[in-house]
Amino acid sequence: MARPEEATESRENAEFRRQVRAWIQANQPAHPGFKLPQTFLEVESERQFDFLREWQRKVYDAGYLGLDWPAEYGGHSDPHKRQRIVSQELNRAGAPFLVNVIGLQWAGPTILAYGSEEQKRKYLKNILSCEDVWCQGFSEPGAGSDLAGLQASATREGEGWVVTGHKVWTTLAHFAKWMILLARTDPTAHKYAGISYFLFPMDAPGVTVQPLVKMTGEGGFNQVIFDRAPMPADALLGQLGQGWQIAMTTLTFERGAAEGTGGGSATSTAESVRAVAALAKRMRRDGSPAAADPVIRDRLAQLWIEEEALRLTAQRARVAGLNMDDRPLATRLMNKLVFSELGQRLTELACEVLGPDAVLWLGDPSAPDKAEWPRAYLNSFGVTIGGGTSEVQRNIIGERVLGLPKTK
Amino acid sequence: MTLRLEVPTDFGFTEEHALLRAEARRFLAERLPIAELRRQVDAGVRLDRGLWKEIAGLGWVGLVLPERFGGAGLGWLHLGILMEEMGRRLVPGPFLGSLLAGIAIERGAGDAQRERWLPAIASGETIASLALVEPGGAFEGAAITASADPADGGFVLRGRKTHVVGGADAGIVVAAFREPSGRISLFAVDLPAPGVAIEDEVSIDPTRPTARIAFDGVRVGAGARLDGDGSRALAETLTRGSAALAAEQVGGAEAVLQLTRQYAIDRKQFDRPIGFFQAVKHPIVDMMCGIELARSLACGAAAGLDADTPAAPVHARMAKALASDVYAQAVRKGVQLHGGYGFTWDCDVHLYFRRALWSRPMLGDAIHHRKGLASALGGEA
Repeated sequence: MARPEEATESRENAEFRRQVRAWIQANQPAHPGFKLPQTFLEVESERQFDFLREWQRKVYDAGYLGLDWPAEYGGHSDPHKRQRIVSQELNRAGAPFLVNVIGLQWAGPTILAYGSEEQKRKYLKNILSCEDVWCQGFSEPGAGSDLAGLQASATREGEGWVVTGHKVWTTLAHFAKWMILLARTDPTAHKYAGISYFLFPMDAPGVTVQPLVKMTGEGGFNQVIFDRAPMPADALLGQLGQGWQIAMTTLTFERGAAEGTGGGSATSTAESVRAVAALAKRMRRDGSPAAADPVIRDRLAQLWIEEEALRLTAQRARVAGLNMDDRPLATRLMNKLVFSELGQRLTELACEVLGPDAVLWLGDPSAPDKAEWPRAYLNSFGVTIGGGTSEVQRNIIGERVLGLPKTK
Repeated sequence: MTLRLEVPTDFGFTEEHALLRAEARRFLAERLPIAELRRQVDAGVRLDRGLWKEIAGLGWVGLVLPERFGGAGLGWLHLGILMEEMGRRLVPGPFLGSLLAGIAIERGAGDAQRERWLPAIASGETIASLALVEPGGAFEGAAITASADPADGGFVLRGRKTHVVGGADAGIVVAAFREPSGRISLFAVDLPAPGVAIEDEVSIDPTRPTARIAFDGVRVGAGARLDGDGSRALAETLTRGSAALAAEQVGGAEAVLQLTRQYAIDRKQFDRPIGFFQAVKHPIVDMMCGIELARSLACGAAAGLDADTPAAPVHARMAKALASDVYAQAVRKGVQLHGGYGFTWDCDVHLYFRRALWSRPMLGDAIHHRKGLASALGGEA
């Protein structure tokens, strides 16, 4: 049956969607029997990683990744912008997420925008096929929200560079072959002008990856320490000192504010109000289904309204004329803020729906849905903090969209 | 069964929509600067006939009514755009009443009845209104107590209706009555009529004069009863009215956002514009995000109505619920962030505050619509 996006979809695209759906149905892997991560923020073990990598490779081999990317770099040069259809169908089917999230969605499109011909040929196809997994070296212990305050340095040595510094919250660093790295190349320049953007090989000597434990008790992100780690001359992306500008492009992709990614999504669970509503029917509260409780119903309805509003906003953002106050950036820049806070309130409501059983944690045989909801609630803070905190997002929107005075 | 919320992927936005928006914005900026609105409020003007004529002359009253009945035959997205612009300027007068009455007749009447009433409504020659709410707040199905009893080949109408927009100036009023069989029917009553008593209300929003109407044994002919299914026509009118009023609420909230934004830039404290401080900046951003979300739902509802999709009533409920909350939050924050000035009569925000409080309960507030949505959500998972 037709879905929202499909109402006016061309016959050609509708046929393509049917193909994708059929392929996923036939090829989606069975659950492997061990705990699978909910998001790319918590890939801990080799077997989890191998399982997810195998799945991405299969999707790529089927021709369903990099549809918008040029064929000469492993993509498909598809003029129809069909990647969205594939990503939608993967998510809808509840398929495992595509593990190379940073490569597909952030590094890849950035390289496509700023890379040399050699760099595009060297990296892009391997991102799509999951041959190479990527991580992101932006945040530092002393420079999180104030990203431009970063201190890691890259200095010239011979033909190449030597990196010294400390990055943190580095998701997937323990599996990554490459890192998109921001480093200071000119300590005397203005803080935004002295930064350069590198494609750094994680197997270089002098690199130490130390796992960090998240508040869920799970691993998946790390700190990375560089002790005079070398990288070759061609590691530089774009121009020397252009790093801040390029980083803004990456962040635009990271915050879901631009199209043109390699595909996939960062989670396998399509957390939605419907899922929580279904949960509320199964759980009991004061002797009746929780779904019968008027307060629970009211809160579910409120979140449903916001979820649908966010979906329609994304749809409206693609129609220039419907940004009725001539602030087209608004509908793009608010996505990360609204999406992440909505996800947090939704998973929190799910925990309230669970009632006392919300306290049962991973591993308890009585935990409803294997403690997926309390885990998702704790994990939701990764999204309201990562990629620029909600507070920073509000500053960005206030200043760039509404022209309010800058907080510096 | 899963409810599918389809809207056309392109929202059907055209150059024509943009032209309507530009025209409405220009006309209202010239004709209704805030000083003129304040003049009317201070003078207690109930109906500015000149303005009403101009608005009717632009074809706005009959914007969505079919051309064969004197309307402009345009779509719901057109109306949403127009309502947003009107909401920004707090257009005073009986517009909403005529709009809703026109919609109710168009949805609920037969062609002969449409021909009888719609052209005069569309042209603005006759001011019309929809008498929806009964004392106690009821306006839907089972709660309607006003009665229509058959007599002499016609009906006798009894009951009370409140908050009737433009009621004191109306030449036609449309209202729901219950027949002895229990069936709900819509009746269009030409005014004045013996037995109809109309009284001005003192309302929090002086820009939208309302009246209470008592039907005390009013005799009408059989032709006053709209031919269609009254319950259905009422539901369809509520859906369309909710989408339209939500768009107006979005426009009002947008105006408050602009006033508050400008004040945060102009007003200095502690040697800086107050918009520098995150405690001021962040609520303004939240205001904007809420407005954009509500606007998306209003657009989605309108696009759904244009394409006649089953999702339209759901989106209309969502739009009215969110827009009601967003407008209320915008005026609350708007007054607060204007500080001491915000608490004065001179600060324009209170004019919007009044409209926000008026429009929140009308056609259903957020709690009302969330209740309906919860049932829709509950029935499908």
